[in-house]
Amino acid sequence: MKFILGSGYTFWNPLIWIIVFLVVMVMVYFFRRRGQKGYKKGTDQARIFLCGEEVPEAEQRHIRVGNIYWGFFETLKEYYNFILKPHTGIINDYILWFVVAIAITVIILLIAGLAK
Amino acid sequence: MSLTAFKRALWVYHLNTGSCNGCDIEILAVLTPRYDAERFGIKLVGSPRHADVLLVTGPVVKQMVSRVKRIYEQIPDPKLVMAVGNCGTEGGVFYESYSLAGPIDQIIPVDVYVPGCPPRPEAIIHGVVMAWVKLEKLFKQEVA
Repeated sequence: MKFILGSGYTFWNPLIWIIVFLVVMVMVYFFRRRGQKGYKKGTDQARIFLCGEEVPEAEQRHIRVGNIYWGFFETLKEYYNFILKPHTGIINDYILWFVVAIAITVIILLIAGLAK
Repeated sequence: MSLTAFKRALWVYHLNTGSCNGCDIEILAVLTPRYDAERFGIKLVGSPRHADVLLVTGPVVKQMVSRVKRIYEQIPDPKLVMAVGNCGTEGGVFYESYSLAGPIDQIIPVDVYVPGCPPRPEAIIHGVVMAWVKLEKLFKQEVA
């Protein structure tokens, strides 16, 4: 059985990849065996080092993707707080805003037309 | 004096607990070309989890107590603690200050004391060698 898949310029041989994988696994096992054995599991020796500070829980350590917008939210905080209040999620409120906006626009147009 | 059991380099984690930096500068002098402690395999490392020796300077201010304990706990066994400078050994010029919880041996067990204000690099190297010898004994005990 022929394992080599040639493309004219290069080739693909799964046997070579398996050999490379095994060699890497042997190297990893070798280095891991030579590692420090003095660590005691379940103690501070196996915990994260954060310059001596107490390490918070994983949920509190992680930074959410939304944090890249933190500067915008902080700068426009007052605007957001104001604009969030009308966004009630109730369709009747939105229709009411629509009707009010249309009424104001019509009044402005009427006044502008009368003024001419 | 022979070093046989502890066959690898001695890695040291340096912790400043409120020192004036005098001792810290002398520790740096130990690593400069004039003394060059790294040629003996004595090396400063950036994490206590890689260290064999905890080298502490300063008199241990109250805010550093939990940090000192936590860093000591994070060093793998066998481990040793070196107190460098008068402040670390007995309080020095800060003796009986309102902000102190130390000296160091009131917080964690100390194995080697290097007095001086600041101690000379030769004294620090001598202290590290004493620590190394003691670490050899601990290592042999653990193996046995």
